[in-house]
Amino acid sequence: MYRDHQKINDSYDVVVIGAGNGGLSAATELAKKGVKTLLLEQHNLPGGFATSFVRGRFEFETSLHELNGWGTEEDRGSVRRLLEGRYGLDLEFVPIPEAYRLIITDPNEKLDVTMPFGVDNYIRAIEEEVPGSEDSLRKFFDIAQEISDAFVYFGKTKGNPDQKVLMKEYTNFLKTAAYTADDIESALNMPKKARDILNAYWCYLGLPTNRINFTIFAMMILSYITHGAYIPKMRSHEFTTALDKKIRELGGRIEYNTKVEKILVKKSKVVGVETSQGDIINTNYVISNASPTLVYNKLIHPKSEVPEMAYKEVNARIHGLSAFVVYLGLDASPRDLGINEYSYFIMENSDTAKAYDSWTTLQVPIGQATVCLNNALPDCSPPGTTILYITTLFRPEAWYDVKQEEYFKIKNKIALGLIKQFESAIGTNIMDNIEEIEVATPITFARYTKSYNGNVYGYEPEPWDSVLTRFMCMNDEKYIDGLEFAGGFGRRCHGYSSTLVSGNMAAQLIYYEMVKRGEAK
Amino acid sequence: MNENQKEKFIITVKSNTKDLYAFTKLVPTRKKKFKEAPSNPISEDKINDLAKLLHPNTQHLIINEIKDETKSTKTFKFIPDLDSNTKELAYFRAGQYLSLKVDVNGVYITRPYSISSSPLEALKGFYEITIKRDEQGFLTNYIWKNWKVGTKIMSSGPEGFFYHEPLRDTKNIVGIAGGSGITPFRSMARAIIEGTMDAKLTILYGSSEQDDIIFYDEFKDLESRYPEKIKVIHVLSCENPTLEGCEKGFITSDLIRKYSDIKNSTYFICGPQIMYQFLEKEIANLNLKPKQVRREAFGEIKDLSKLEGFPKDLMEKTFKIKVQIGNLVKEIPAVSTESVLVALERAKLAPPSKCRSGECGFCRSLLISGNIYVSPISDWRRAADKKYNFFHPCSSYPLSDLEIVVPRNPK
Repeated sequence: MYRDHQKINDSYDVVVIGAGNGGLSAATELAKKGVKTLLLEQHNLPGGFATSFVRGRFEFETSLHELNGWGTEEDRGSVRRLLEGRYGLDLEFVPIPEAYRLIITDPNEKLDVTMPFGVDNYIRAIEEEVPGSEDSLRKFFDIAQEISDAFVYFGKTKGNPDQKVLMKEYTNFLKTAAYTADDIESALNMPKKARDILNAYWCYLGLPTNRINFTIFAMMILSYITHGAYIPKMRSHEFTTALDKKIRELGGRIEYNTKVEKILVKKSKVVGVETSQGDIINTNYVISNASPTLVYNKLIHPKSEVPEMAYKEVNARIHGLSAFVVYLGLDASPRDLGINEYSYFIMENSDTAKAYDSWTTLQVPIGQATVCLNNALPDCSPPGTTILYITTLFRPEAWYDVKQEEYFKIKNKIALGLIKQFESAIGTNIMDNIEEIEVATPITFARYTKSYNGNVYGYEPEPWDSVLTRFMCMNDEKYIDGLEFAGGFGRRCHGYSSTLVSGNMAAQLIYYEMVKRGEAK
Repeated sequence: MNENQKEKFIITVKSNTKDLYAFTKLVPTRKKKFKEAPSNPISEDKINDLAKLLHPNTQHLIINEIKDETKSTKTFKFIPDLDSNTKELAYFRAGQYLSLKVDVNGVYITRPYSISSSPLEALKGFYEITIKRDEQGFLTNYIWKNWKVGTKIMSSGPEGFFYHEPLRDTKNIVGIAGGSGITPFRSMARAIIEGTMDAKLTILYGSSEQDDIIFYDEFKDLESRYPEKIKVIHVLSCENPTLEGCEKGFITSDLIRKYSDIKNSTYFICGPQIMYQFLEKEIANLNLKPKQVRREAFGEIKDLSKLEGFPKDLMEKTFKIKVQIGNLVKEIPAVSTESVLVALERAKLAPPSKCRSGECGFCRSLLISGNIYVSPISDWRRAADKKYNFFHPCSSYPLSDLEIVVPRNPK
């Protein structure tokens, strides 16, 4: 009988579906504005991919390697301004000591460089390794800065830029917008080896340099290299839980273990949601942290309210990658293990398209991004121990035919291959020091987030589906009145910083609609 | 040359015109791609399907067979309840447990039980759970009275981290079992023999007397057929054990040293709480690396008075807990020596739970006000949860009136 009394059959101004970074950020902004907000999450934790888990003496970060957009006290980045400044969270972030160490193991290409933060230092380090690359790198960063400035200008003009100003001040932004990273690096005559070093961050966006849109690629590199990278002291669970508490404090409401089963739509307008708990909630506005893929194919009810174009849109876009992570708690210190850097990118060769291809089959991938948490956070685990995560990516299709009884063996085989790859690249012994190990696959990410196909990265930002194009088309691609998207499938594409900012933006857009209709002050 | 005079570099990718034209084509390209895409809905999601198969929220089971193992132990064989949506059972790693959800006269309570059958047997369509009756036990007495062939039971998917992990553990597994703590090792032994687990298993099995030994004949048979893979040493604590080849007393460090290669073994401990307390000192004598010792979560703490830091003056005190769960707000009584989870269950507020040991975090709730006691031995909270006052009711005890927010049970 109590089950019925627990039901939430109320009305809310806005229902936010999913407490990932985007949903949490959206709900916080709305609650802050005094909007009656309900945040529903199917899992029993906030964060989506941004969380942590405990095994033995270790608390592991689930997915964050490093956050751009935090910055220093004096020069605060967009995420810091949002979380600390706007949302008033009290968080402790620590800087990552170096940008990355890139190791390419192919004997013909052999490369092992450790890169510093700061544009000048960064360019100097590449120039030392690859004499004659400075000019092209300098141009790369100048263009990246111009792109970043162009987005600020877009913001200032509320998305209605003066074409003349664009043409005059932001020519490089316009001229590079339709191209890939490879296109621009070639046009800049950047030496091959310098490109390999610069491209190391490509795996954070997860599509090869011959497909990744230059705009988003350049902005990401610029953000990391100019402002450095940071991580939260208590893993991502710290800021996601801080957001949870802030939402409640501001009068918003959060319900975990509550999966939205239907978004009720009438005459192309959102009218409510129905949940797995049997709640029927009236609302005119929904911000979905769940992808358009799930919303259009599964959630909108009745199906007749889904326009044909929405299906086409989802089918046209390229669903991105899922991840594979080996979480290791080791019983020796990083120093004993000879692990001196925080962030490692290890590639068999420099061909990013080949690495991407290796993610389409069920084999040990030929690239990994590995983090040693202790090298930014010495106290993250007990003295004499180390937390190490080895991350690689997979196309979900690679896992389609796995039978449940083969699953554990397959994931261990891949995990072993990745550990061996790391051991041989660094010259260390991991296997004898494993105290705790957990291996997450696309299936694991699906289990906890219910993301379509275990997708971790959103739609792939090729030039026609990158940040800029998504913004330019935002008004044409609204099929349901009162529905907005936040998170990795949203307008700013994936990544921690993007999703936190996109959540805020979705909230601003909904609020703007409400004010326009006299539903909010 | 100063900055203002420096001519701005303008990139040319193809040509000035082509580059700008490419920009103007971005939106039309996108629109064209959308227009030309198929309009069929996506109905398949193989990754989530596999995730659900491996990690089902609920498995609907039905008791198919009940076997007496000893005078106080029974093995229950479960098969999928085909009238439900459970059509096949989730595969697992030997040593994992199921959290059974039992309706005891209208009160839903959960209990974690190690699976005593093998992984391949799950594929064949059954799990076995072996339960020892606890004379004072609330649930086991209910089970003895009510569970029959045909009884329907709800279960979680396979859970827990008490399994042989080949990337971490040696191939020499030493099981240290007490009483019904033998059950996961029966699963491991079967897994080794069927080939789903690549290891050798030596079990030091403590019982009070010969009659209490569970699976005696079964292990005897396995030992004789697979002497190179399975070995069981019975350790009996009664006065004058007559069992041939048994060790007398308790499982001590000397005994562990006698039967295992200390440097090259991984020790798996499963048994009653009292055994853990005894073993901690014995294990310490062996100077093992932490990675060599795996402990099964032992369920709720039975005797708080023995634990450090629990305020003795608050033993058996009754407090009020104001609970918010969904739209329901209710005040319930709670005793300091019973976990918050038990108080919630008794009040029919059925919070979600699985391990009942503080480990899985499934019951994670928010403490709005009041003080709780969390034992350091079952405190698995995340650092940020401690900072922001989230807690695990199954391993927390009220030390004052509380106000809490509990998540509803997932469906």
